[in-house]
Amino acid sequence: MKKILYSVCTILLLTATMATAQQSRTSLTYAVGFGTGDLGDFISQPSWRGFNVEFLKMTSTKVGVGGSFGWNVFYQENDYDTYTKGTASLSGKQYRYSNNLPILANIDYYMNPGQKINTYVGLGTGMMYTRRNTDMNLYTIEQEAWHFALQPQIGIEIDNQYSSAFTIAAKYFYGFASGDFDKAQSYITVNVGWIFKS
Amino acid sequence: MLRILTFSCLIAFTGFLFSGCYPGGADYTNDYDVVYTNHSPTYDFASKGTYAMPDKIVVDVEIDRGDTTYIYMKDIYATPILQAIADNMTALGWTRVDISATPDVLLTPAGISSTTYFYSYWYDWWYGGWYGGWGWYYPPYVTISSFTTGTLVMTIEDPNTDSPINASETSWVAAISGVLTGSYDINRILTGVDHAFDQSPYLKTN
Repeated sequence: MKKILYSVCTILLLTATMATAQQSRTSLTYAVGFGTGDLGDFISQPSWRGFNVEFLKMTSTKVGVGGSFGWNVFYQENDYDTYTKGTASLSGKQYRYSNNLPILANIDYYMNPGQKINTYVGLGTGMMYTRRNTDMNLYTIEQEAWHFALQPQIGIEIDNQYSSAFTIAAKYFYGFASGDFDKAQSYITVNVGWIFKS
Repeated sequence: MLRILTFSCLIAFTGFLFSGCYPGGADYTNDYDVVYTNHSPTYDFASKGTYAMPDKIVVDVEIDRGDTTYIYMKDIYATPILQAIADNMTALGWTRVDISATPDVLLTPAGISSTTYFYSYWYDWWYGGWYGGWGWYYPPYVTISSFTTGTLVMTIEDPNTDSPINASETSWVAAISGVLTGSYDINRILTGVDHAFDQSPYLKTN
């Protein structure tokens, strides 16, 4: 967990510094996540703990290029149940965690520049770190991976007169199978927050 | 001004997210209780019918200059546990007999406790120049915390199995972990015993 925290803080500081450049946008959003595929099978509960930070340098009024990072933790407490594998059975309460930390390069396309409501679509690509823990009793089964990841998104920003905008977006994170995972790890987030323009 | 605002918001937002909202796990000690069972897939339990079981539960062994002394669980705790085991075996069709009656299998319960210690160690250092030539100074701070967990283990062996080393292979094992804590909540133990047999339907005899 400390490694994740240190990595995020480092990138955060870099992003905040870069955000002082001209013609740039820094978005800061709260992200509610919904697991899909293998992650959704493992944890069906939504993730109420997450955020995304995205920095874009505008190369034109319609196109922004930059990077992003985020974090979503999925958690589920399973009631007392019996899990059987082969001749062995194990009963107890199970606590499931999945930490997902994407670090991506992004390109966004804005469809209505200069208007109060500006729709945008985007694509991110890069790496996503996943750490899954399955806890029973005092023991945990830990699985880790750095995935190659893709992240399409669609959103709108609603301008105000203070060089900032309210934004709402949907992002789909897809980390290809790697490391301790033989299946892809994917989830959808609904993001709400602010975009700071400079 | 906007730069400062952006930077402050980023720091505050991230700090808020990381500080206090990481999801927790178990809330109560009984949330840690787990029951593990395993059995030999080749052993034919259905063809057996009698078992013998001791009337005490060993919780420790002391060896002093070659003399072995068994430490037993107090009767106030052992009696209901042994009764719960016997009730479950009866429900599965087994008949309890004395060890001298050549039982088909032996059922042996035992208690195991372990204490886990956590050591936290860190140190701070101050350069000597700040304190008038004390030099490098490494005052250690060590904190120790511990918890004790216990496990009730039950095994079934067939003493009639021929073995070159006169040792019987375990045909069934159950470990009820986390229940023999300092509070000795007998209901948690008895629930664990029931679960162990519930998840072992192959023990049923004809």
